[in-house]
Amino acid sequence: MTDRFSPGTRAAALTLLVGLACVIFAPLAPWLVKWPAALTVPATEWIGAVVTWLADALKPLARMGARALSWPMDWAGWALIQTPFPLTIGAVTALGWHLGGWRMAAGVLAGLGFVLISGYWAPGMTTLSLVAVSVPLALLAGGVTGIVAYKLPALRRPIHVLLDVMQTVPTFAYLTPLLLLLGFGPVVGLIASAIYAAPPIARNVLLGLERVDPDIREAAAMNGANPWQQLFLIELPTASRQIWVGVNQTIMAALSMVIIAAVIGGFDDIGWAVLLTMRKADFGNSLVAGLVIVIFAMLIDRLSGKLAETRPVYSARITWVILALTVICTLIAARHLPASNAINLLGGVTDWMNATLGRFIAAYGPLLNAIKTNAMIYLLLPLRIGFDHAVTPMTWGFQWSAPISAAYFAVAALLAAWLGWRGRLLAALVLLLAAGVLKLGITHLPWPFVLFGAGALGWVAGGRGLAAYAVILLAIILVMGLWEPALLSLYLSGTAVLICAVVGGLIGLLSALSPAMWRVVRPICDLLQTIPMFVFLIPVLMFFQIGEFSALLAICSYAVVPMIRYTRQGLVSTPEDQVEAAISSGANRRALLTEVRLPYAAPVILLGLNQTILYAFSMLVIAALIGTTDLGQQIYLALGQGDVGLGVAAGAAMAMLALVADRLVQGFARKQSEALGLE
Amino acid sequence: MTATPNAAPAISCKGVWQVFGVNPKKNLDRALQETGGDPHETAQLLRRRGLIPAVQDVTFDVREGEVFVIMGLSGSGKSTLIRTISRLIEGTAGEIRIGGEDIFAADARRLLALRRDKLGMVFQHFGLFPHMTIVDNVAFPLKMQGMATAPRRARAIEVLELVGLGGREDARPHQLSGGQRQRVGIARSLAVNPDLWFLDEPFSALDPLIRRQLQDEFLSIQADLGKTAVFITHDITEALKIADRIAIMRGGVVVQIGTPDDIILNPVDDYVREFTRDVPKGRHAHVETIMTRPDPLPEMPDDPKLGADMTIDSALAACMSLYQPVPVWGRDGQMAGVVSPRDLAAALKAET
Repeated sequence: MTDRFSPGTRAAALTLLVGLACVIFAPLAPWLVKWPAALTVPATEWIGAVVTWLADALKPLARMGARALSWPMDWAGWALIQTPFPLTIGAVTALGWHLGGWRMAAGVLAGLGFVLISGYWAPGMTTLSLVAVSVPLALLAGGVTGIVAYKLPALRRPIHVLLDVMQTVPTFAYLTPLLLLLGFGPVVGLIASAIYAAPPIARNVLLGLERVDPDIREAAAMNGANPWQQLFLIELPTASRQIWVGVNQTIMAALSMVIIAAVIGGFDDIGWAVLLTMRKADFGNSLVAGLVIVIFAMLIDRLSGKLAETRPVYSARITWVILALTVICTLIAARHLPASNAINLLGGVTDWMNATLGRFIAAYGPLLNAIKTNAMIYLLLPLRIGFDHAVTPMTWGFQWSAPISAAYFAVAALLAAWLGWRGRLLAALVLLLAAGVLKLGITHLPWPFVLFGAGALGWVAGGRGLAAYAVILLAIILVMGLWEPALLSLYLSGTAVLICAVVGGLIGLLSALSPAMWRVVRPICDLLQTIPMFVFLIPVLMFFQIGEFSALLAICSYAVVPMIRYTRQGLVSTPEDQVEAAISSGANRRALLTEVRLPYAAPVILLGLNQTILYAFSMLVIAALIGTTDLGQQIYLALGQGDVGLGVAAGAAMAMLALVADRLVQGFARKQSEALGLE
Repeated sequence: MTATPNAAPAISCKGVWQVFGVNPKKNLDRALQETGGDPHETAQLLRRRGLIPAVQDVTFDVREGEVFVIMGLSGSGKSTLIRTISRLIEGTAGEIRIGGEDIFAADARRLLALRRDKLGMVFQHFGLFPHMTIVDNVAFPLKMQGMATAPRRARAIEVLELVGLGGREDARPHQLSGGQRQRVGIARSLAVNPDLWFLDEPFSALDPLIRRQLQDEFLSIQADLGKTAVFITHDITEALKIADRIAIMRGGVVVQIGTPDDIILNPVDDYVREFTRDVPKGRHAHVETIMTRPDPLPEMPDDPKLGADMTIDSALAACMSLYQPVPVWGRDGQMAGVVSPRDLAAALKAET
């Protein structure tokens, strides 16, 4: 009832009117659909010129820095590769014992053992050497940033904005300007990974420091500590757990970026091995190399994750025993040890895997193709170019025509009228909007409609400021001439997010209802979140080849995890007194879920959706490797062509899209929380 | 506050056990067998085996229309007991009958029906649904009953007016103060006009002043409606103020059941005595519990018109009024003034 004149209803109605106007006047004014080229600002060229000028100016300095950095990098690489492998394995196993007992030690031993016999020991060590140098850089830069932000509250907001932007700018976009600045070489990957990995530690240092109990801080001050003593002796140690969480995230981010940086090539690391074997369609070997990456990721994650936990003390004596045994074994066997790159016990296995995959594709190829084709025809194409272009005799078996259009809209209008009559005006308007979007296709949407729609969403979610934010950022993309790839990005990520929301929401719901289900789902989620983005491409590519559908699958499998986790978390964290109140009021399981748990969980679920959106955007760029046509592809192309203007502009456009989506969803989540009185 | 002693019990608990841990039912049966059924030893045995006997062999009846208070410190098992009675948790052993019906035997459907029609409950931390308005919160049990929107809103507003929250129906829980929130909780528990009213430390989370106010309002609502109420508290003065009868719990066991006067004047053991030590007895015990009927009656020249239900303080003040004013002496040995014994007594019973 009160819904009738709610802001949401008004915004939806106005957006619908704007859309109608665009559709009606489109034949008269084609510039409504396609932004005229004459009005496009040559932003990519300008940016290219500015960045190139800047880079030229900074080049000598930067190259000097790069040379300085290449020292420790080369040294670390040399050390890791030259160290006899039994010594490395033994030392890390000892570390595993020290941090996590025999389970961890066994895990380390098995994992590194696999790396050794896989034949990818040397590339693996190269990758680790890059990580080993970039992580301290990232920790130093991020840690200082976090402390500065804490000490100077005036800088806190700008630093937060900077960190947001750094984490939304797609990974590849870092690479192009760095290439220009530093020239080809592994140092680019190193620096990119240090930049990419710094924000998590900065955030966590700041968060940890902010959360220090005021009592502790005041006690330190009253005991006569000066501000620096207070910081280093009291506040940082008190915040150590949060800081270790940040260290863990930073290491994982660095690893992920180092692997992605392999696309620049020219460096024999494990990411390059995956890329190379993928290009040769040697999936047996890409799987093995991918597995090596997964093993690294899991070991590093679990080992560094232990630092943030309270853990039992494991006997130091055993640590020493393991180390001593290692040294002794290495010394005895030193003469007879084969070179690490001469070991490859899995050759037979990879050949067998390739043969099996070949047989599988031969047997089930038509089925896989059918899945792919149907998904394209019935889901992706209509969303992308709309029913009126997607429905043709070739695809659906008939041609979309004016009468069909009329019937389609008549049905939509009838449904909407029914909803409106039931008093659910907002639902009716949203239905009409969805019908219109499906008919036109996301990439054919008139730009005034998109801008107005984003503005309307912003207005509902966070008032005038947010509306202006959304409209201005989108308008910049429009004027820069990147509108079409941006809409393609929107379409691809939007579709992926939609699928993730439905599938992940359902899995999360079931996991909340059944602990048994969660016991199965949880380790899968843990695994999916540890795997670097790059690795998701391998299995998708194996079965569905290059193309949009594969990209979509890769994005979904990476982005679905937060949706599952947050949905479950939100649903199971309803306060006990509310549950008891509902039960003693006579609510059955269903009513308890729909009337109490779901509404209470809504803000948390929205935050999960937000994470899923950000995940989808970051994967979008990686998916460019397997055939997309959106902004991500532009960034990737720019990297290949050294077109720094296009790379930076497309990267910025991508970040802006992600930032707009992020702010909108967070706005809705905050509104929901406020309505619940939680904030 | 008028309990009719001969009515059939509204709630009857017999040998109720609530044990937490692994396989509680089996372990309890085994322990009972091994000890020959002695509750105290059984509980000790269970504790040794790593189980928690939160409620041990509790037996009592709650009469129709009385306010039955279960009192004890935190961890004494009182909250567990009320949750066992309302079957928010499943009891381990024993028998609980509500209106003669075996509640442990009720299936899910019957339990739902009971909760929808007969039971109402108030929670310590209110348990209000933050996403609903006040009126929707109060109407929630009616919605569960399947009542249509308009009548359920009307009924909810009616109950809200009963608790003094008329006009606030479209506010959200977080816009209310703690006291107002618990009024909403009370309104919600009364919405379906239940026969049984469970209140789990309803006023413990509130400031002392608000607490007193709500206690008075509880008494006036109860005087109007005459529900059978089971009221949990850890506050002896609250218990004495509102109870018809009090059950005192310690470590999962009911140690004494009696009227407030019983508890104050005849505590069964040191534990109960300790509870009532700071209670001003004159304010809570009544004349009828200490009077006698000697035969033959002695000469009684004075009659201050005492009533059997007067508190001892009031009775004393009435007796004192029979005396003439007496002198009061200053520190310097001079007479400083006069005071009437009646005023002295009146000063003592200042607030009740």
